[in-house]
Amino acid sequence: MQKNYTTVKKSALLIALAGALTAPTAQAANWLMLQGTEKPNEAPAAKLWGFAQIDYQQTDDTKLPTLTGGAAGLSGTSAAFNQMAPQLNTSSGFNIKRARIGVRGANFPLDKDVNYFLMAEFGNNGITTGGGTQGQLVDASVTINKIDGARVRVGLFKTPGSEESFKGIPVFNYVNFTNGTDRLLIEKSVDNSAAVAALPDGVPAGARQADTLYGERTAAAFAARDTGIQVFDTFKHNDWEYSYAVMYGNGNGLALTDNDKHKDLYLYGSAEKVFDNSDGPRRHSLKMYAWSQSGKRTVDNTAYKRDRAGVGMTYFDGKYRAAAEYFTADGMIWGGPVGGATNTPLSVFTDQTADAYQLDFGYRVKPNIELNVRYDVLNSATKKDANTGTAIDKKRVFTTTTLGAQYFFNKKTSARINYEIRDLTAPTALAGSNPTKVVDAIDNRLSAQVMMVF
Amino acid sequence: MLTKQTQRLFALLIGLVLALPVFAAQTEAPLPDTFAAHKVVLQISDKDPSKQNLVLNVAQNIQRYYGVENVDIEVVAFGPGVRLMLEGNENIKRMKSLMASGVRFSACDNTLQNFAKQLGHELKVSEGVTIVPAGAGRILQLNAAGWQILQP
Repeated sequence: MQKNYTTVKKSALLIALAGALTAPTAQAANWLMLQGTEKPNEAPAAKLWGFAQIDYQQTDDTKLPTLTGGAAGLSGTSAAFNQMAPQLNTSSGFNIKRARIGVRGANFPLDKDVNYFLMAEFGNNGITTGGGTQGQLVDASVTINKIDGARVRVGLFKTPGSEESFKGIPVFNYVNFTNGTDRLLIEKSVDNSAAVAALPDGVPAGARQADTLYGERTAAAFAARDTGIQVFDTFKHNDWEYSYAVMYGNGNGLALTDNDKHKDLYLYGSAEKVFDNSDGPRRHSLKMYAWSQSGKRTVDNTAYKRDRAGVGMTYFDGKYRAAAEYFTADGMIWGGPVGGATNTPLSVFTDQTADAYQLDFGYRVKPNIELNVRYDVLNSATKKDANTGTAIDKKRVFTTTTLGAQYFFNKKTSARINYEIRDLTAPTALAGSNPTKVVDAIDNRLSAQVMMVF
Repeated sequence: MLTKQTQRLFALLIGLVLALPVFAAQTEAPLPDTFAAHKVVLQISDKDPSKQNLVLNVAQNIQRYYGVENVDIEVVAFGPGVRLMLEGNENIKRMKSLMASGVRFSACDNTLQNFAKQLGHELKVSEGVTIVPAGAGRILQLNAAGWQILQP
């Protein structure tokens, strides 16, 4: 332990010199660090925190058109994409979408090398329905920061990946996810152990697609989380921060334990130029990143590949904000409810490909008002298969332009309004077939949200 | 008459007795030399991390109010407040900036030793922080010499 009693002036000079010569240490100012670490020697033993989001959504509630064949019975019924998720019972209404409460900190504040993060979800969304519970545990992790350059986080936490799913929800700039993130990254497991015929409006034999699982949701949506171990860190060089993460997880979402021997591997790397030494979740920076996830899911004793990979960038300087992202999916991808109806089995394609991209811009008219526009495209089920060109063709192209505005009452309370101009096509389906009719029923969507963090 | 050997032993004894206060004084931090009109000692002993920012803000604001040349400031940490002084604390940039303008930072050795016992290893303080034998004692020492105590 050092004990020196040097004079003030000498020490001040030496320190000023040392400060000028040494590189600053890496700071908690990116998603890996913000979510996985605490500020050393500053974190409380337990910081209670959380957030709530109250949504209002509305569409014109356009019904499914007149359909033929086995889907004829669905004619005139509600279209799933025009209803409010996750219940799909109404086309308009208020919803307590997210209500999370958690605690984080350094359980033994003297030890700056260990921190933890616990959080549960009480809102109404994919996490708390379809097998999830009110008060569903969404985060339970411990980070050990003993090894320079290789912090270790274990438990249940957000997986390193796409910016849209990785970033903290309290700073999400829109009400709804893009189509690509919603359908390809927010994983929803479907269990086909029950006979499909026993489900409401069971899928007729002629309407069953190749390489497709039909069933019901039996578990909470994965919420871009997994249980496992992650090695990560951030290295600072001048204004740049370089981060990496390697995670090995169950690949079983919020289930806490595994259901098969297959594990998921997550890789993440980013380079970020930080402006003006800013920090926090809305810091000013230019970031570029790349990521991948690869694994398998076991359904009814069969293992199916599920791979994702992407690249992207974000920019924010306090006035202008921009983000772009592109990613691909290979293996299992979400098919949605059969016939686009609300009371039909859900489908998951087991051997398909997809790609998605988005361009997102924001402009702060005033420090507390931001205007937003986002353009996103999802090319779903792009791989040719036995159904291509038929009346049960899987391919869909989702295109959405979202216009939005956000008002920040203060740093922790905001309101936003979005208008989504939505388009859906089934470009390779047989002309005049049911898919080409169903897609025309998609409405534009109006949504509003108030969010508070405490 | 005392023998020469006895005289030498007495001389050594007297020398040791005279030297004792000198050795004892070396275990206490000396009072700073200052001609500043205002002298302030800021106490941080709270475990609340927000107090770390607060005490640094207060130091900065006092300097602005009186002028850097007119005020002498020492921040003394003891108890849980010592976390501000530990290596790795992200406030080090601000502390260095304050150090460069003359603010001193002192950490309580008693607390550090207690923390070391609890943790099983010694703790390092940030570069530029002085370790004083007792934080509370240092505050009283400065107060007796004319420093005003402020605990934000």
